[in-house]
Amino acid sequence: MKYTIIAENVGTPGAEFIPVEGLNLEALLEGGFIKSDKTTQEPAKTVETSQE
Amino acid sequence: MATSTVLSNPVVTINAVDLTGNCTGVQPKIKATALTATSFGDTSTKFVAGLYDNEVSFDFYWSEAASSVYATIKALIGTTFNVTWKATPAATSATNVIETLTGCYLEAIDPVYKIGELATISITVKGGVYSAASA
Repeated sequence: MKYTIIAENVGTPGAEFIPVEGLNLEALLEGGFIKSDKTTQEPAKTVETSQE
Repeated sequence: MATSTVLSNPVVTINAVDLTGNCTGVQPKIKATALTATSFGDTSTKFVAGLYDNEVSFDFYWSEAASSVYATIKALIGTTFNVTWKATPAATSATNVIETLTGCYLEAIDPVYKIGELATISITVKGGVYSAASA
C-alpha cells in the first residue's frame, strides 16, 4: 500500500511517504499527516421494486 | 576547556512528525540495567549489562492546532512508535548523529494549563531499541 504525505512536518506534501520499521501508521493516518491510496469500494446499490 | 560544544537547538520527531518548532527540551536516558555479578573472592562489586531500559523525555509547548502536538500524540497513547532527536539542524554526520528509539511506548499525556502562561506538556516515552546513525 502506498501513502502520500499531507502535512509539511512529515515531509514534502504530495510526496510518497515510505514508512520505516516501528512507526505507528494508524496514528499518522488518524492525525491527518498522511493518507493512504487505498480506495474503498462502495457496496452495490440495490433497487427495490414493488411487487405487483 | 571544551574542544567541542553544541548549542542546544535539537531537531526532534515523534512518530516521524517534526515537532521541533514546539519543542523546548529533550532528555534521553539510555540505560543498560546493571546485573550484579559479584562472587566469592571478589573484593569489590561487579556488574554485567542486563536489559536496556531506555526512555526519552520531551518538553513541548502545547498546541491543538492541525498537525501539531495534540494531533501527533493523541493517537499514540498506549501504543509503540519511533522518536528521533539530533543535536542541531545541520546535516547528519559523525559529529551530529541522529539518534532513534524504535518501538518506544507512550503511557500518558498530561498538558499543563496555567493562567498567564503558554500551555505546555512533558511526555516520556519508554522502552524501545536505541540506535544512532551518522548518515
